[in-house]
Amino acid sequence: MKVTAHLHTILQRHTPEGLKGRLDVNIQPGSTVEDLIKHLEIDLEPDYLLLAVNGRVAPLDQVLEQADHVNLMLPISGG
Amino acid sequence: MHIWRVNVNTQSLSKDPVPDAWDRLGGRGLIVQMLLDEVPPDCDPLGPDNNLIFAPGLLVGHKLSSCDRISIGAKSPLTKGVKESNAGGRTGLHLTYLGIKALIIEGQPAKHGWWALHLSEKGSRFEPADNLVGLGVYAAAALLNERYGEKVAIALIGPGGEMLMQAAGIQNTDNENTPSRISARGGLGAVMGSKGIKAIVIDAQGGEKPPISDQKRFREAQKAYNAALMGHPQTQVYAEYGTAGMTKISNAFGGLPTRNFSSGQFEGSENISGENMRELLLKRGGASKTTHACMAGCTIRCSNVFGSDDGDSIVSPLEYETIGLMGSNLGIDDLDAIARLNWELNDLGIDSIEIGAALGVAAEAGMMEFGDGERALELIAEIRSGTSLGKVLGDGVVSTGNELGIERVPAVKGQAMSAYEPRAIKGTGVTYATSPQGADHTAGLTIRAKIDHIDPQGQVELSRNYQINMAGYDSLGACLFSGFGFAAAPHTIPDLLNARYGWDVPEDILQQLGRETLKLEREFNRQAGFTKVDDRLPEWMSREPLPPHNTVFDIPEEELDGLFDW
Repeated sequence: MKVTAHLHTILQRHTPEGLKGRLDVNIQPGSTVEDLIKHLEIDLEPDYLLLAVNGRVAPLDQVLEQADHVNLMLPISGG
Repeated sequence: MHIWRVNVNTQSLSKDPVPDAWDRLGGRGLIVQMLLDEVPPDCDPLGPDNNLIFAPGLLVGHKLSSCDRISIGAKSPLTKGVKESNAGGRTGLHLTYLGIKALIIEGQPAKHGWWALHLSEKGSRFEPADNLVGLGVYAAAALLNERYGEKVAIALIGPGGEMLMQAAGIQNTDNENTPSRISARGGLGAVMGSKGIKAIVIDAQGGEKPPISDQKRFREAQKAYNAALMGHPQTQVYAEYGTAGMTKISNAFGGLPTRNFSSGQFEGSENISGENMRELLLKRGGASKTTHACMAGCTIRCSNVFGSDDGDSIVSPLEYETIGLMGSNLGIDDLDAIARLNWELNDLGIDSIEIGAALGVAAEAGMMEFGDGERALELIAEIRSGTSLGKVLGDGVVSTGNELGIERVPAVKGQAMSAYEPRAIKGTGVTYATSPQGADHTAGLTIRAKIDHIDPQGQVELSRNYQINMAGYDSLGACLFSGFGFAAAPHTIPDLLNARYGWDVPEDILQQLGRETLKLEREFNRQAGFTKVDDRLPEWMSREPLPPHNTVFDIPEEELDGLFDW
């Protein structure tokens, strides 16, 4: 199953092609948001993250579906 | 500490002891108490009965990270209600070094003229400022630094304030003497202009830090607070990306105002993201800086210098609200264009949120094509020239909507919404609707809460808690971003206050200050004629679905009316 992970700010990945904020990820059907975080080897406590699936805040145990867009963010605000 | 009261009619200063009722207040909380005590709520904001107040927060004066902000307030010519607008820079710190708990500027000049108000250990003096009239803040501040030296703090207005425009703010200089830390909102620059003051120069030489009652306890609390702040991952985000890191977050939630608040997602959001800005600045080098402190002791350093390809500075800082309102809201996906628009507005001493919203309305009315940065610059040039159109724009988004006959005006209590779409981020919509400050970007943003932002459930309670905390932080002189540190070590707030003043405040002093401040602000507005009808978003936001979620603002009115029943 393929989902798209959107990695914000300090969660972006250094790759040979440069810094990447968007990754297409293959995961097992039935995987949760928490499984995706583990799969991406993000070393921050999940509690620090603000997570959204298809534009809506999602809990760690939400089951993902094919073609979901998952935003992984550090919850800032202001401006 | 004393209250310094300057009368612009008599050009006199009195240094008064602090009345008991004002003693335990600071910043935003002190401002509203002073307004209630001395300013008739129904007065003309640009008349002789309004006072312009500069009040450092309770923790200002010690280079405590992110806690040296200056609150400036008055009755607002834009909202016609209470107004506090705070900023970084040097103003707060230098006022406290002179022992000033609050500076009140009152009255109106007997005859029209422009003055620089000089404050020092010796007192105050009025100096003619005719040579500064019509100058933008960058040129005016440079002349003032030439005359008074590099070590003074300066708070000044630009041509917008001189022309009494309702979107005019007051610019404060930072450590490099750049006059771009703006108390932007609510037209405070027009209030300063109405008093004939082009600039306030604060020379703190010979002054000293405010006294600390218990040094050891203060240092311990400071250490715990710093450790909590620096240990928080958000601090790294602010340091590396600044508030521009918000762009993609808002876009992800469908809450990034786009083309005059007609969509919550912008196809050019990657281009104007904080992530892209950081890469651009690192590549460009020269004057560009991805991190910069707006106050002397700040360890977060969320500010930046946005430089051009040829290595020169275009503007400092470039922040999220400007990117949202002057970028996506105008359909502009080019950071260089946004930075140039931002510099122009800074130089005019005008709020980029208010004008970004006004230009969005102007674009909808056909005055410019969305995406046309050059045309946006031309419209800002109209403001500088003070043409009829420029004055309409310079009075803000409601003025512009009324003049051009546009219904889709994103404002509450006369003040433009910031770059969080309230139909997609409904808790922030509740804040916009109910805050006594009007639709404000510092009154209680909710986007970082782990709540479904488009579900109306729970948004009023969420907004209430954020509004209370923010009113508390604004009374301490603490930046919104210090909140990550304070939230992780909440005992440091009472510890710092008790050590500084020898008080014995309770654990929940932040919320106590916040609740009291909001209550007083509501009372000032009530006496100014506000009713619950003023605590509403514009009606079109409850009718017009916002893409991509196609949601409307649907928080029940009785819930909004109950927000302050705690």
